[in-house]
Amino acid sequence: MNKMLSLLYAPRFPAGENKKTVDEQLQNILKNATSEIEVAKAFHELNDLKSRYIGKKSELNGFMQQMGKLSATERPVFGKKVNDVKAAIESLLEAANERIKENIYTQSIATSSFDFTMPGRPVLMGNLHPLTIIQNQIEDIFLGMGFQIAEGYDVEDDFHNFDALNHPKDHPARNLADTFYIGKDTLLRTHTSTVQIRTMEKHKPPIKIIAPGRCYRNDKFDLTHSPVFHQTEGLVVDEGISFKDLSDTMDIFLKKLFGSEVKSRFRPHFFPFTEPSAEIDVSCVACGGNGCPTCKNSGWIEILGAGMVDPNVFDILGIDSERYTGYAFGCGIDRLAMLKYKLPDIRLLYENDVRFLRQF
Amino acid sequence: MIISYKWLQEFLKISLTAEQLKEKLTFSGIEVESTTTSGDFLKQFIVAKVTFCQKHPDSDHLSITEVFDGKETHKVVCGAHNVAEGQTIAYAHVGTDFGDFKLKKAKIRGAESAGMICSERELQLSDEHEGILVLPSDAPIGTNLADFYQIADTVYEVEITPNRPDLLGMLGIARDLSAQLNIPLQKHPLYPVENNLSMPTADDFRVVIAEPDLCSRYYAVRMSNIKIAPSPIWLKDKLKIADIKPINNVVDITNYIMYVLGHPLHAFDERCIDGRQIIVRKSMPNESFPALDHQTYNLTGAELVIADTQKPVALAGVIGGLNSHIQDSTTDIVIEAACFDSSITRRTSHNLKIFTDSSYRFERGMAEQTCVDIAINAAKLVAELAGGKVVQVIDVYPGKKPLRVVKLRPVRVKKLLSLNIDNHKMINYLQNLGCKFLGANEEELSFEVPANRKDLTREIDLIEEILRLHGFDKVDKPVAAPQMMNSDIFYARRKIKQYLVHQGFQEAVNITFTDQTNLDMLNLLAVDHRRQTVRIINPQGESFSVLRSTLIPQLLKNVALNLNHSNENVKLFEMNKVFTRREEKLPFERWRLTGVLTGKSKPIDWSEKSGNICYHDVKGIVEGLLDIFEVEINKLNLTTEPFYIQNGGANLFVKSQYVGSIGKLDQRVLSKFDIPNEVLLFDLDLDALFTYADFSQKEYTHISKYPIVSRDLSFVVSEEFTLFDIVKWIKETNPKTIKSVIPFDEFKGKQIAEGSRSLSINISLNSESKTLTDEQIKSIMQRIIDRLKEKFKIEMR
Repeated sequence: MNKMLSLLYAPRFPAGENKKTVDEQLQNILKNATSEIEVAKAFHELNDLKSRYIGKKSELNGFMQQMGKLSATERPVFGKKVNDVKAAIESLLEAANERIKENIYTQSIATSSFDFTMPGRPVLMGNLHPLTIIQNQIEDIFLGMGFQIAEGYDVEDDFHNFDALNHPKDHPARNLADTFYIGKDTLLRTHTSTVQIRTMEKHKPPIKIIAPGRCYRNDKFDLTHSPVFHQTEGLVVDEGISFKDLSDTMDIFLKKLFGSEVKSRFRPHFFPFTEPSAEIDVSCVACGGNGCPTCKNSGWIEILGAGMVDPNVFDILGIDSERYTGYAFGCGIDRLAMLKYKLPDIRLLYENDVRFLRQF
Repeated sequence: MIISYKWLQEFLKISLTAEQLKEKLTFSGIEVESTTTSGDFLKQFIVAKVTFCQKHPDSDHLSITEVFDGKETHKVVCGAHNVAEGQTIAYAHVGTDFGDFKLKKAKIRGAESAGMICSERELQLSDEHEGILVLPSDAPIGTNLADFYQIADTVYEVEITPNRPDLLGMLGIARDLSAQLNIPLQKHPLYPVENNLSMPTADDFRVVIAEPDLCSRYYAVRMSNIKIAPSPIWLKDKLKIADIKPINNVVDITNYIMYVLGHPLHAFDERCIDGRQIIVRKSMPNESFPALDHQTYNLTGAELVIADTQKPVALAGVIGGLNSHIQDSTTDIVIEAACFDSSITRRTSHNLKIFTDSSYRFERGMAEQTCVDIAINAAKLVAELAGGKVVQVIDVYPGKKPLRVVKLRPVRVKKLLSLNIDNHKMINYLQNLGCKFLGANEEELSFEVPANRKDLTREIDLIEEILRLHGFDKVDKPVAAPQMMNSDIFYARRKIKQYLVHQGFQEAVNITFTDQTNLDMLNLLAVDHRRQTVRIINPQGESFSVLRSTLIPQLLKNVALNLNHSNENVKLFEMNKVFTRREEKLPFERWRLTGVLTGKSKPIDWSEKSGNICYHDVKGIVEGLLDIFEVEINKLNLTTEPFYIQNGGANLFVKSQYVGSIGKLDQRVLSKFDIPNEVLLFDLDLDALFTYADFSQKEYTHISKYPIVSRDLSFVVSEEFTLFDIVKWIKETNPKTIKSVIPFDEFKGKQIAEGSRSLSINISLNSESKTLTDEQIKSIMQRIIDRLKEKFKIEMR
């Protein structure tokens, strides 16, 4: 200790403490603080130590209080000494704080047990109905090819369901047995082909639509029949539409729906409103064409009815059948759902048993 | 590349307006990035005559004048010392916009002054302001100054695609436009090139190409007795348009010719070429090169340089050297017109980060054949503007190739474009572009392609040019099919189904046929519109005898079936048509959405107990659904539907129109369907809902960057008031700042008086424009409380 400081301190501190120099007293404080802080195990202990060593009532703060008695030249030297000790204690407390935090963290990891096999909190999604799933697929395929979706009425009149579609008055399809009647000439549509007529009445060509919807035929419920079922109709009318366009479109549709390896073939058929008419078969989706019960060993499954729009239909609707040509097609959505999902019974589709619905 | 409307007129007589030309350029593949017009300012000033001039009686420096602008005479007070009667001057009328002020009528020392006689500075022509500008006496009175100086112009900045280096000169663009517009190119001082120079071939100076693969031609013209001087005004003006700084006559000539003909050239001071030899070689590693940009580059050995026997004097095609450039003292020059490999030019330019008009062009590929044109034009202009004569012409041409011949099959054109363009037309298009028609056989036409069209190498390239000139708009657009689909509703239906599936619902599909007794089971009144059923004349038995007018009974039967199979937790919805009778022939068909829920509100979870589905679960699901379409329920009242338990359901209104109901089904109704469990229901009129749905395109709304403040309010209020009304009332206090009002607690009983309840509501506040201060928040909250006290007699807790 230099001369000046000794002169400074000697007379000014209480008698008992005079024995030790201020430096020694400060060092003592620091020493005691160090040993106590180093063994502290909990945050509350640290808080106690903090107030004891550097708090308002601490010994160190007592030194600070006495600063006022010193002269202006002594004050900074003395103040620095006290502050250095205070800073040292603060950093010890900070280090101890980190150490305790770390300890608590390590302990918490070590002691917690965790059964990671307990089930997660369930998030239960529902399901779309298989008919909706198939219908969405069909819609998306045709929307992608620039078709629009048209809608019609479930309850129709004779004209839209039969006359305009070139059904002769005595056509067997008009039998009471096949058609549900609502009134004298109102009925539940037997096919979505009605939307062809509704569309051509309202819009001039070019027309490029599909029309999914419900149809009704007087069949009793059995494995493969339902009095209510779903179809998608398609109609394209424009200048220069040919059988090749129909063939291409059907090929793309079937490949997108069943996969690129599926084959299709056209078979001559009869529909009153198309000429030439065809039925389109795909290679059996169950057996790949080798023959199985699904395809009755033929290797082929009938999927679509199609053909070029009969000029009579255009004539009935006042569309120039020389200028415009077109094609139409239709397929059963229920039938496609049964094929794709390998359903044994069409009635499953209308029971709404959750155990069934959950599967798709 | 910058091109000027006026400059283009030198090459071809364009009758289009500047705006039409811009369209034409864009649709010929030369995209106009920006357009600026010059001369708009000077258009305001009129050439006029001072018809009278007399000293102002109250001033020693002002004059009172009369000015005739070709139409009227104006009285003008003029402060210039040089104004005099009979002068032709530039007159600014009242209203002229000088940018920082508009000229007004004034009274100067008692004398009226309408307009101004302008100095050069006022006309922004120069800084000269000692007196007014006096125009030549034959200047036509009445014309505007822009026309008089002929400076009105439109300047386009165009983007030249990298495949078309031939368009990097005014002539190239003019040629393309001449083909586009089918008007001939005019004769121009630089085109066609007439070589009437004497071409001495004295061999005292040599050019050696050490890298013939990288320099396919080097054409040099030596000239002596040159006098370096500033360029004449016309040349400076041209360079000004091109945004090139004028330097001296020789350098300006090389830049001008590059700008017109598209092919860069360079001039060396012959004094600086050591060894009387120009050598085109690769640089040597660590060779140092002082470039014209005053930077010294350390070369690597990869660059192509133009050197003499001692040092590099230029980076080939990129930049000239400070050790060989044209100076005021230069008398003898070597003009370089060469063809450098595009790849090495590009590499050198990019590696050394030197980007010049020259490198820009060479890296896109220049033609060997144009070297002669630019060199001869340059020599002639130098002789004309700087004097001097040609002393030697050197042509080293290692990459000599015949012009390319490309064949075109008309059949192929038709197949590719579906356009019927006759052969004559195709030949004409290609000839206009500078292709030479060589002849035809039965299948194909042969063309020799001009040297600077390096992009035309294949038949398909010619077809592209034919389509470009014929016009893309000649290709027919298909007749569009009319819009017959309501996409909004189509996708809305799908969205709703998807939404419900995400809420854990299974989609049910039931058949259309049902039975009149189902309606009785729902307790429907005799007058209920759903009793107006559509009957089938020939049904499959009584249970399939009518078309359904509601989806509820079948869904309840579905619930019963599933409960029978021990599925206690069932959520089903169906979206389908319902039918009712009406006056018209065909019945009313409407889309309905109905859902039934029974069992636990959440799936079984080991860590959290789940309660039974209740009214609020259903309400939340329906609110979420309406939210998709930004439909807001604006009114709710206790339901009148006969199948809900009393006080257990609500009718929902959107824009005060009934759209459906939600609630808990009456036990007595359920027992008719053999359902012992509680079932909740929502039943919505989808068509009604869609009429109020917002299908408009979503647009971004600004997200406030200021903090959101959250405050809670707890109060006691009489049960006669609904939460709906309370929330609405709070929001209305300050709709802009109150972002959400969310109740988080309801309490009845003990400390609360009979007929009252305690509500706790969270309110969040946020401003778009500022951080809300404590005072502002306090004041909004206080206003909310005051309003609540006033309307609902609340008591704060």
